[in-house]
Amino acid sequence: MKSVPVKVEHEGKWVPTTMGIGEDRIRIDAPLGCEIPYKSMVDLEEKKNQVMIATGVNAEKIYRIASVEKVLSVLKKFVITQCSAYRLNAFFMSPAIRGGVLVQDARWDKGVIAVMKTGIWFVSQDTQVCIPLDDVADIELTSREIQEKNLDVVKIDHLVENEVVTSFVLCPLTTLQVLYNFLKEATHDYEVNEEIDPLTGQVAMLVYSGMDSGAIENMLQLSHKDLDAVYEQLLSKGFAEVLYVRKEVQLTAKGVRYISNAMKSSTG
Amino acid sequence: MGKILIVDDTMFMRTLLKNILFSGGHDIVGEAADGTEALAKYQELKPDLVTMDVVMPKMNGIEALKAIKAADPSAKVIMCTAVGQEQMVKLAVKSGARGYIVKPFQAPKVLEEVKNVLSA
Repeated sequence: MKSVPVKVEHEGKWVPTTMGIGEDRIRIDAPLGCEIPYKSMVDLEEKKNQVMIATGVNAEKIYRIASVEKVLSVLKKFVITQCSAYRLNAFFMSPAIRGGVLVQDARWDKGVIAVMKTGIWFVSQDTQVCIPLDDVADIELTSREIQEKNLDVVKIDHLVENEVVTSFVLCPLTTLQVLYNFLKEATHDYEVNEEIDPLTGQVAMLVYSGMDSGAIENMLQLSHKDLDAVYEQLLSKGFAEVLYVRKEVQLTAKGVRYISNAMKSSTG
Repeated sequence: MGKILIVDDTMFMRTLLKNILFSGGHDIVGEAADGTEALAKYQELKPDLVTMDVVMPKMNGIEALKAIKAADPSAKVIMCTAVGQEQMVKLAVKSGARGYIVKPFQAPKVLEEVKNVLSA
């Protein structure tokens, strides 16, 4: 088991220690002094130079580990490929569409997809991509032309730094439906059930497109007060959040999910 | 910066695109609500670039793209359609489209795609 220097959160403070990364478990030395089998891990989250690993059925035990990117990258790969999560070998393309524009150099990457408590992870030889579940805007089973064949894929729309990105997952048809169902189940709590009136929908679309309040008032011939009332609806339904001043908002993943669905059901 | 013809059957989307492109310094020389009108306006206005919706009445965007390319093989057309219709990309590219944007779209990405196509 190779030991590397890390910092761990212990009693609310970051404490330097060493961590061993083994084939089937990690060891964290004093003050934690514990071994954690990968199979007991149910969740993995990342922040800058930090990962959070959760164990237990309900992710009740949480370990926060900080280290350099190289160490965390190795750790994440072991966790994702061996943890207790729905996992399968798949091809993925992320990002395939960014902000509504096809990414020209997008390519299929062969690796592993793992659906954890708070995020969907793709890991390959060269890449590690995490899509937090609360950033998922839409999941759809669709078809895509790959090497001149129409193949079924799972399409995931998600937010990356307030930009909507579409990623695709390709795997054998027998497991694709299972993956789709699993992803739908995992994101069930984020589904949009509310309806909004056409005007509010149009405002949501304009906010998403990057229009500011002035431009929206102009385009839709709305007064300042009318637009404020529409923003109030978007905010109260959780479709938008205040950006930097009360009068400018941006869509949340929920709002993006709503307008993506609205576009799908329109004639295009 | 270029002279752009916007083709979409909904006024809302045309207005949105017009605002986005105008904010990027482009000159909107005309608008069309279907493929037939798009072809006529293209021949009349000779724009540098066309943003073309796919699903439209009378003549759809793919047919209009083919007609415009037949009349002017150097025409620059960016296809624009709803999410979930990305499989149209191959057909549009085969028919001569230079770029593709998917609704709902975000202004910076649209302007970037337009810039790329205009400078190609």
